[in-house]
Amino acid sequence: MSISEITSTAVQSIKRPVGRSRAIGTLTLLLGAFTTLIFGLGANSASKSNITFNPTNLIGVIPPHVGDLSVPSKASCLLLGLCIVAIGLETLLRRPVKGLMVRFGGSAVLFVVGLLIWTVRTPGPAPFGSINMTAVLVGSSPLVMVLVFGALSGVMCERAGVVNIAIEGQFIGGAFFGSMIASTTHNFILAALMGALIGALLGLLLSFLSLRYLSDQIIVGVVIVTMLASLSSYLNVQVLSPYPQYNTGDLAPKLAIPLLAKIPILGPVFFNQNGFFYLMIILVGVISFALFKTRYGLHVRAVGEHPKAAETVGIDVIKIRYFNVIVGGAIAGIGGVAFVASYGQFQPGCTSGLGYIALAALIFGKWRPSGAVVASIIFGVSVYLANNLQTYNVPVRSAILQTFPYLITIGVVAGLIGRVRAPAADGQPYKRD
Amino acid sequence: MSNSTKASLWVRYTSKSPVFVTVFSVVLGLVVGALVIIATSPVILHSWSQIFSSWGGIFHALKVTLDNVGAAYRSIFTGSIVDPPQFWHALTTGKDWAVALTPISETLTYTAPLLIASIGVGIAFQAGMFNIGANGQAVMGGIVGTAAGSMLHLPTAVHVPLTLLAGILGGVIAGIIPGLLKAFTGAHEVIITLMLNYVIAFFLIYTLLSTALQQPGQQNDVSRYLDPTAQLSPLFGAHSGLRVNWGIIIAGLVVAFAWWFLERSTLGFDFRVTGANPKTAQASGINAKVVIVLVFLISGGLAGLAGVVQVSSTTHFLDGGFLVGSAGIGFTAITVSLLGRNNPIGIIWGSLLFAALNVGGRVMQASTTIPLDLATIIQSVIVLFVATPVLVKEIFRLRVEHAEAVQLSVKGWS
Repeated sequence: MSISEITSTAVQSIKRPVGRSRAIGTLTLLLGAFTTLIFGLGANSASKSNITFNPTNLIGVIPPHVGDLSVPSKASCLLLGLCIVAIGLETLLRRPVKGLMVRFGGSAVLFVVGLLIWTVRTPGPAPFGSINMTAVLVGSSPLVMVLVFGALSGVMCERAGVVNIAIEGQFIGGAFFGSMIASTTHNFILAALMGALIGALLGLLLSFLSLRYLSDQIIVGVVIVTMLASLSSYLNVQVLSPYPQYNTGDLAPKLAIPLLAKIPILGPVFFNQNGFFYLMIILVGVISFALFKTRYGLHVRAVGEHPKAAETVGIDVIKIRYFNVIVGGAIAGIGGVAFVASYGQFQPGCTSGLGYIALAALIFGKWRPSGAVVASIIFGVSVYLANNLQTYNVPVRSAILQTFPYLITIGVVAGLIGRVRAPAADGQPYKRD
Repeated sequence: MSNSTKASLWVRYTSKSPVFVTVFSVVLGLVVGALVIIATSPVILHSWSQIFSSWGGIFHALKVTLDNVGAAYRSIFTGSIVDPPQFWHALTTGKDWAVALTPISETLTYTAPLLIASIGVGIAFQAGMFNIGANGQAVMGGIVGTAAGSMLHLPTAVHVPLTLLAGILGGVIAGIIPGLLKAFTGAHEVIITLMLNYVIAFFLIYTLLSTALQQPGQQNDVSRYLDPTAQLSPLFGAHSGLRVNWGIIIAGLVVAFAWWFLERSTLGFDFRVTGANPKTAQASGINAKVVIVLVFLISGGLAGLAGVVQVSSTTHFLDGGFLVGSAGIGFTAITVSLLGRNNPIGIIWGSLLFAALNVGGRVMQASTTIPLDLATIIQSVIVLFVATPVLVKEIFRLRVEHAEAVQLSVKGWS
C-alpha cells in the first residue's frame, strides 16, 4: 500500500459521505418502483416484446442475421424493475463509498431497457411490435461521437485550468467551415483540418484574452458562442443561400473494417462508421494516455490544480495553457465537422446546444476522458431516444426525456448524485508575480 | 511642446474614465461589423477586384464600400432612433408624428424587458455571482405570467398587476433553485443556471402542448392569448400607432429600485460587500448563504418580470420560439450588464444601445438585405472588448492601469 493510497483511505474514512449514498439509493429505489409498478404491472400479461438486432438500411457490409428476441413484456419489466430495486436497497443498506455513479448508471440503463420493452409490447399502442437495438445504437452513435469530441476538448482545456464554455461555438465554427470545405473539395480530411484550424483559432482567441488580458473565461466563452452563432447565421444568408454549391451536405463515407464489421450488433456500431468515429476513439486513447501516463500530462494536471506550485518547479504555466486550449479548440472544431459529416447540410443552429451537453458530459465524467465517454454515451442515447420516441407512440413527451442530461448534470454538480470536483485552478486567472 | 501637453491631457483623461473604454469598444464593434459587411458583399468585393482596370478604380471601390456600409449603418440609425426627413416633415407640417416617432417608440418597446433583465443580471454580478440563467428565468416568468393572464378573467386594475406578479413568481421559482443549490451544496451557479436554461426551454414546449396553456384548436406549440385586461397598453393609446407601452415605465421603476437597493439599502450593501470580497463579508457577519439565495431570488424575479413584460407588451401569447436564439433577451442582458459595468445607470445606456441595434438591424434587414444577425455580431464584439479593457487601451494607446486588469468576480467552477 503506497502512501497516497493510505492517505486517500484515511481521507475517505474521515469524510464518509452518508447523505450521498442515501440520496442515490432512494433515487434508485424510486426508479425501480416506477419500473415495477408502471411498466411491469401496467403491461398486459399476454403481451410480448420483440427485440431485433438486424441493422436496417445498411449499405455494403451486412453482418450475419441474428434471430429476434421475443420476451414476455410483463415478466421482463417486473424482473428489470426488481433488479433496480435490489440495487437501490443494496446502496441504502451497505452505504458504499465508491461506485455510486456506476450503480446509478447501471440502474438507468436497466430503466431505459425496461422503457423500451414496455414501449413495443404487442398487443399495445406502438405501431411497430419490435424495437431494433442495433438501429438505436447506430442512430445515436453520431451524437455520442460529437459529444465525445466536445467533452475531450473540455478535458484538454479544463485540466490545464481554463474553462472552455465555448465548445458550442467551436462546434458551430467547425461545422460551418468544415461543411464548406467538404462541399467544395469533397475531401473530408481537408474538412477536418479546416475545422481544426477554426476551432484552434477560437481556442487561441479564448486563451489570448483570458491568459494575456486576464478576461473572465466564462464571459469570453459565452460571447464566442453568441458570436459564432450569429456569424454562421449571417454567412448562411449571405453566402450559403445564394451559392448552394458550398453546402451540398455530403456525408463522410463509411469505412467498414474488414471482418470486425460483420460482428452482429457490435460490428455496425463500432466498425462500420466514418473516419471521424475512429479518430474519436484514437483521440480518447491518446488523450487519456497523455494526461495520465506522460510527463506532459503531469505538468498539465499540476497547472490545472496549483499553477503557482507548478511555476516554482519550472513548468511554464502560460505556455501549457495556451497549448491545451488551442489543441482543445481544434478537437471541438473537428467535432463540428464530424457533425455535418454525419448529418449532412449545415443549418444555423444545427448543433442545437450539443456543445453544452458536451460540457455536461465533461462534468458528469469527472474531467476524465474515460468518464467523458461514458457520460457521452448516456447523454447521446437519451437525446437520440428523446428525438425518436414519437415514432413509437410512447406516452412520455420527448420534452421530458430531453431534459435528462441537464437534470442529471445539475444533480451531479450539486452532489446529489455522486460527487465531482473540478481541477482546483479551473477558471482562475493566473498572473506571474 | 504644447502638442505633447495636449496629448498627455488626452491620455490622462481617457485613462481615468471607464466610459472611454466602453465608447471605444462600441467603435471597434462597429468597425468589425463594417468589415463583416465588406467581406460578404458581392458588390463591394467586385468593385475592389476592378481597381486596376481603370484610372480612379480605387476611388470607385472606396465609394461603393462607403455607400454600402453607410447605407447599412444609416438604416440602423434611422430605423431605431429617428429618420431626419420624416422628423422634419412632422415638425414643419405638424402631421405624421406617429411615423416620425415610430423608430424611437420601437426601440423603447424593445428596451423595456431587456433593461429589466439586465438589471437582474447586474445585481447578481454586483454580488459576485454570474446569473447566466436569466433567459430561462425570463421564459419561466413568461410561462407563469401567461397562465395568469390567460386563465384568469379580472378587471384591468387587478389583472395587470397580478400577471406581472405571476411573472415575477415564475422567475423566482427558476432563480431560487440555483440559489439554494449554490448556498447549500456549493454547486457552481454557472453550470446550474446554464443547464436550467435548457430544462426550462423544454418545459416551455411541454406546457405549450398541454391543454391548460395551449391555444384551443391548435396542434402547434402556441399558447392562449392574454386577456386584453392583462396586457400592458400603449402609453399614447391604442390608436396612436406607437407601440411604446407601460413596460418602459415599469423598467424605469425597476432602475430606480435597483439604484436605491444597491446604493441605499442595507441588504444591497451586503450584496456589494459579498461581491467585492466574500471573506470580508463573512468576517463582518454577513450570512453568505442568505445572500446567495436572496441574490438569485431578486435576480430571478427581475428576469421573470422581464419575460412577462415581453409577452404582455408585444406578442400577447407564447410560442416555441419565445426568447430563443437571437431573441434571447436573457443572454443579451448579460452583455448589456457588462457594457453598463453592472450599475443601473450604465445599464440604461447599454440596453438602449443594444435595443437600438436590434430594432435598427431589423430595418436594415428589410432595406439592405443584410441579415439582422449583424446586430448580434456587433454586440458580441463590443462585449468582447468591454470584457478586455486592457486590450482596448492598448489598441488606442491609452494608459493602462493595472488595477483594472483583473476585474470580474467570477472565478472558475469549484
